[in-house]
Amino acid sequence: MRRVFDTGNAAITEAAIVAGCRVFAGYPITPATEIAENMARRLPEVGGYYVQAEDECAALHLCNGASLGGLKAMTATSGPGFILFADPFGWAVSAEIPVVIVDAQRVGPVSGITGAPGQGELYLSRYLAHGGNYETIVLAPSSVQEAFRLTVRAFALAERFRTPVTLLADQMVTDGWEALAIPETSDERAAMGLEVVPRRAHPGPDFYPASDAIDVPPVVLGRGAGGACSDWTPTERGHDTEEVEAQHKHAHRLIHKIRRHRHLIDEHEAWGLEDDPEVILVSYGTPSRVVKSAVARARAEGLRVGGLRLVSLWPFPDHLFARRARYLSVELNWDGQLVREIQRAMSPGSSAHFFGRCGELPRVAELCEASRALLRGERLARRGWELEAY
Amino acid sequence: MDPLAGKYLRPEKWPGTACPGCGLRLLHREVLTAIDALGLGPSDLVWGTAIGCTGRQTYATWRGDTFAGTHGRVYALATGLRLALPREKRILLTVGDGDAFTIGLPHLLAAARRNVDLTVVVGDNLGYQSTGGQYGVTTPAGSRTDSSPYGTWEPGWSDGGLDVLGIVREAGASFLARHTVLQRDAVVESVKAALGTRGFSLVQVVYGCHVHYGAQALGDGTVGAIQGWIRARTVPLEPGPAPEVAPAGFRTGVFHDARGARPEFTERLRDHVAAVRARAGRTS
Ligand code: SF4
Ligand SMILES: [Mg+2]
Repeated sequence: MRRVFDTGNAAITEAAIVAGCRVFAGYPITPATEIAENMARRLPEVGGYYVQAEDECAALHLCNGASLGGLKAMTATSGPGFILFADPFGWAVSAEIPVVIVDAQRVGPVSGITGAPGQGELYLSRYLAHGGNYETIVLAPSSVQEAFRLTVRAFALAERFRTPVTLLADQMVTDGWEALAIPETSDERAAMGLEVVPRRAHPGPDFYPASDAIDVPPVVLGRGAGGACSDWTPTERGHDTEEVEAQHKHAHRLIHKIRRHRHLIDEHEAWGLEDDPEVILVSYGTPSRVVKSAVARARAEGLRVGGLRLVSLWPFPDHLFARRARYLSVELNWDGQLVREIQRAMSPGSSAHFFGRCGELPRVAELCEASRALLRGERLARRGWELEAY
Repeated sequence: MDPLAGKYLRPEKWPGTACPGCGLRLLHREVLTAIDALGLGPSDLVWGTAIGCTGRQTYATWRGDTFAGTHGRVYALATGLRLALPREKRILLTVGDGDAFTIGLPHLLAAARRNVDLTVVVGDNLGYQSTGGQYGVTTPAGSRTDSSPYGTWEPGWSDGGLDVLGIVREAGASFLARHTVLQRDAVVESVKAALGTRGFSLVQVVYGCHVHYGAQALGDGTVGAIQGWIRARTVPLEPGPAPEVAPAGFRTGVFHDARGARPEFTERLRDHVAAVRARAGRTS
């Protein structure tokens, strides 16, 4: 085990190498540039390729192409580049290409504030491709060590599900420095619960099974066996078609290969839910570290407060909101994104509330105060412009 | 079935989606003739396409491996694929003029600058035709189309002394040619040369859309009309430096031949990786 003190960016790089990533294509952007820099240094050492793309759209297309040729690939960016991934992301979803995407969320909209954390891309990460008709996998780390673990996991899920997997980080995770343990042997990897799924190759000629099966090797070109994949609605052979029936089959596969195997994806952390709390604070990423402290403090005061930290964001864990409670969504944005999903998923009789902040973390005391207000049955509106009722 | 198509293409995909009489089908056959002359089989070549008339006609026709990218992005996708494939595998891209010279031009130029071993065949139907006939950057100046009902007014890539192939040459391409689809032997020779190039090569083949461009701009939507019009506008590329004002028409011939002059992208990258590993004391 190699023990270092380093950033989330370094953790993601080292994890990608461990997972077998051999191609990185990217475009410099704060706060994800260090991932590109680290990959440029590390990949040649392991016989891999770093390519600096002409833009982010090209970066993900390059990764897709490398994966289509049989190499594991990753790209990393922040909001302004993430939006440019839309085109190649959709291509990878439809062509069932395993690829890993890192988005270090900063403050938006557009270029916004480059060096501060935001959480404005929850929905973009779900709906990055136009046209609907798919489900996707998104994981959110809240520490440097977890960024390492989830990057390895993202590669494994990408291979098993033949799909792009997004690591939705934030600037504090990627830029933040923490202790990091890097496993060096397969035993150490196993002890950390890390699974590395090797690339298998399906040479064609059939493109996909019209079922929800997973662990189907992705199409890999170059063998001359008649492999085919494209941006068009495919037949099972991979030929382009305008037939609605074929589209049903393909869309069903893209949606249900993920939804029907979501137990392999779902991951969360819960605090104090065993005591049937009245108020549950919900968060993901860096803010969840403040939430954890706030829940602990509130519980020490004897308040009926619990917490949920979402690790897998998509498919959205509706089942976590089955209990009747007052949910407080703590997010790094002012418009409220996660809270909308909670409102949709929560059981009848529950209520959803929003604590927004952006570019900086909320404070423990503020979250405790908001929890007390909710316990008193008050709404959060007009208790300061950063505390809006949703 | 056409014997060449029967030998190399998936039977259910021939004669393909192009309109009856379209020059695109001639081009498809000319490319196969070049492949046949080089003796390439399904496992020697991966065939990629983009969208539009050319993409629809050629995608998944090749018996070997085949793929299609989104509009204008297939050059980046193919660059990534090039990284993963052994050097002896050829990658051929059949694309349209809008794909190569408008929406995809930055990616195409990046591939030329890197000198990625790709062969791009641009089927030039003189504008956006699968969408019903709108002008593009290869539409001759002044043409009436459905999106230029009073005639085009902005310069295209071949008006007023401009030539898009000059840009691709300056970007670092290894081999460039332009022909009309009616110059069958020349197209075959250039596609052969392009497929034999270790580096970025491109052959632009003007075929024109008789259904839309012919009807809208020439007032005659017949195959004969567009073919006669193309023949009348075809001029040879002058040797030596490009003239200050290029003559109107399709300047055809080998535009640029610098095969072998610049190292290829993946070779350069593999050398770079090997050098880094050697410095670090790692082998292979
Ligand atoms: S629309 Fe025009 S260019 Fe396209 S296939 Fe038909 S005739 Fe050919
Ligand atoms: Mg066109």
